[in-house]
Amino acid sequence: MNLASLRVRVTSWYCGLLAITLLIFGAAVWLGLRNYLFTTIEQTLRDESSNMVQQFVANVDEKGPTWLAGEIQESYAPEGAGRYIRIFREGKILYESGNMRTERMDPSTSTSPDLLRRKGSFQRVETESAGSILFYTGSWVSPSGIHFVVQTGAPTQQIDRILRSLLIALSGLTPLILAGAAIGGYLLMNVPFRPVVALTRQAEQIGTHALGERLPVIPTGDELERLSVSLNRMIDRLEDALTHNRRFSADVSHELRTPLTILRGELEPLIENPDLPPHELDAIGSALEEIDRMSDIVESLLVISKLDFRSPLPRSPVNLNALVRSTVDQMQLLAIDKQITVHADAGGETWVSGDPIRLQQVVVNLLNNAIKYTGAGGTIWLDVRAQRSRGVVEVRDNGIGIPAECLPYVFDRFYRADPARSRESGGTGLGLSIVKAICAAFDGTVSIQSREGSGTVVQAAFPLCTPAEIAEAKQSSQKAPLKQLAVSGDAETDAHDIGSESVQPAS
Amino acid sequence: MRILLVEDEPKVAGFVRRGLIAERYAVDIAADGKEGLELAEAFPYDLIVLDLMLPSIDGREVLQRIRRQNTCVPVLVLTARDAIEDKVRLFDAGADDYLTKPFAFAELLVRTKALLRRGPVNRSSTLTLADLELDRLTQQVKRAGKRVELTAKEYSLLEYLMLNPGRVLSRNMIIEHVWDQSFDGITNIVDVYVRHLRSKVDDGHEFKMIRTVRGAGYIIRGGRNE
Repeated sequence: MNLASLRVRVTSWYCGLLAITLLIFGAAVWLGLRNYLFTTIEQTLRDESSNMVQQFVANVDEKGPTWLAGEIQESYAPEGAGRYIRIFREGKILYESGNMRTERMDPSTSTSPDLLRRKGSFQRVETESAGSILFYTGSWVSPSGIHFVVQTGAPTQQIDRILRSLLIALSGLTPLILAGAAIGGYLLMNVPFRPVVALTRQAEQIGTHALGERLPVIPTGDELERLSVSLNRMIDRLEDALTHNRRFSADVSHELRTPLTILRGELEPLIENPDLPPHELDAIGSALEEIDRMSDIVESLLVISKLDFRSPLPRSPVNLNALVRSTVDQMQLLAIDKQITVHADAGGETWVSGDPIRLQQVVVNLLNNAIKYTGAGGTIWLDVRAQRSRGVVEVRDNGIGIPAECLPYVFDRFYRADPARSRESGGTGLGLSIVKAICAAFDGTVSIQSREGSGTVVQAAFPLCTPAEIAEAKQSSQKAPLKQLAVSGDAETDAHDIGSESVQPAS
Repeated sequence: MRILLVEDEPKVAGFVRRGLIAERYAVDIAADGKEGLELAEAFPYDLIVLDLMLPSIDGREVLQRIRRQNTCVPVLVLTARDAIEDKVRLFDAGADDYLTKPFAFAELLVRTKALLRRGPVNRSSTLTLADLELDRLTQQVKRAGKRVELTAKEYSLLEYLMLNPGRVLSRNMIIEHVWDQSFDGITNIVDVYVRHLRSKVDDGHEFKMIRTVRGAGYIIRGGRNE
């Protein structure tokens, strides 16, 4: 699951909002209930208090405290109901009752002067046996000027228990609801997102393969339809621009050929003229060299643009090992000339799907680069292996390497990490671009790692052939010996075979 | 020997004509396909050099029409190198050989001569140039009677030079003949191999047979006046 995906983000936003809503809702319910319960009990206590004053306390001076006790007992039965009632007359206890279930309440805790002064107010008192008790303290002055205080109390244990259970229920249910909403929401998002996933997949296909394809337009009339339509329009314009660009570079190179042919044709006869003074011959020679280089550039550009067009190129099984052996064979003198040792680990067979000429061009260019950028006495290792479903050619050297800041651009056209050095050693600045174009055209990849001063590793990988294709290739090459050359790339090997041995520089 | 050159680019036509005339060929020029066809029907040419990119009638069509009437005249096609993949179709259409633009005149001349000789191409088993001998059967090379040991590549290189004595061969021509298309543009390889070949063939001899022609390529000569 990708945490950054839209689906995850939408789901988390909506879960977050739901969580806030649930929290507010839960708090409101809890506070409302609490308020309701306390209001109710307070109301009861206040009513009782005023009732008692009206019915009993007003008459206590006439009928006496015993009558009062009896009447209260009869009307309220404080002990049984867990209630507490206390009446003061001029600061002295006139009546006190209230068996808090088992234990009598210690009157001292509630007869503090402080409490007595709080007339007409509520007070919560914590007791050990009965928990918290809510008191109402009301006062009344009789017409004869006698000051009565009536305290009524009730335990709040019940309320606390109810509130606690509600809190537990809420805090238990909220995460459950949230989890359910998250999972359900995530799954539900699947439905509107399915076309997006399909669109993405298709767009990736178009990106890596043919630009000629278009995205499916799902006629839903919603934003997604508009999106796919406008994406398609964008691909149209992109394709136009790309085609234009490619055609342009192909046309330019093509148009340059004729003038180059003419230049070469006009200058060449002069160079064989023995009557010309040496400095003129030299100038013509130099011009011809540049014409050669320009021709190489033009040809390379044409090769690249042809490969870029991705018209399906014909493919056949190619034995990478034979290709590497033959290439090393045909270029060994270049290495020997620079006192470079070439180790080729290319015994056996690794069959990939491609074009022998083009694939060899990859090896030739990589090896040529390695030789070019490795100093005298250096070493180059070539290695062929099958890795997962790919055949990999690796060219490794301990040469000058490439600075890290240049590495991302080495496959760009005309990019030179060190302009002075590479121009001096010839080349068009297109070698690696061609390698990349060939790899891309045959569904392969090319990667490069390098450290300045210690060497470079380049890996080109191509899709492996199926055993059936290999068998077929071998069979047909036995029938037609000419084709074998093409298939194995073994066209011109030297007399001695260099399977996995190394070519030592001449000492 | 009379050659028809069908080429719409007058300057290309110009230097090819001059070069061929210098080699004592008679050259006619047609500037488009229509004119080319008319000339090809009117005169019995020994060779037709045909550019494929032509106004009025396309080169391929010209080639097919020529073949319908005259099956034996050799046709050398000038084409673009990026179209090499089509070469099978070219040969099917009746081309005898092809040359990619931009080409070196020397190469055009080599192919022209090869096509005109056709039958008696140098098939002799021994190539000899002054005191240098190359036996194509045993692949042995001798200079002044002394054996010269060459690697396979050096041998192929020397053989190609000796098949075209006195002619400047460009690096690209050498690459295409001795290596192959995969080595396009890797011309430094030619310089190194020629240097090694030269040291084996010419070292210790007063006359240096293999010469560098700056900007043009390499040449092998049997003597000063050749």
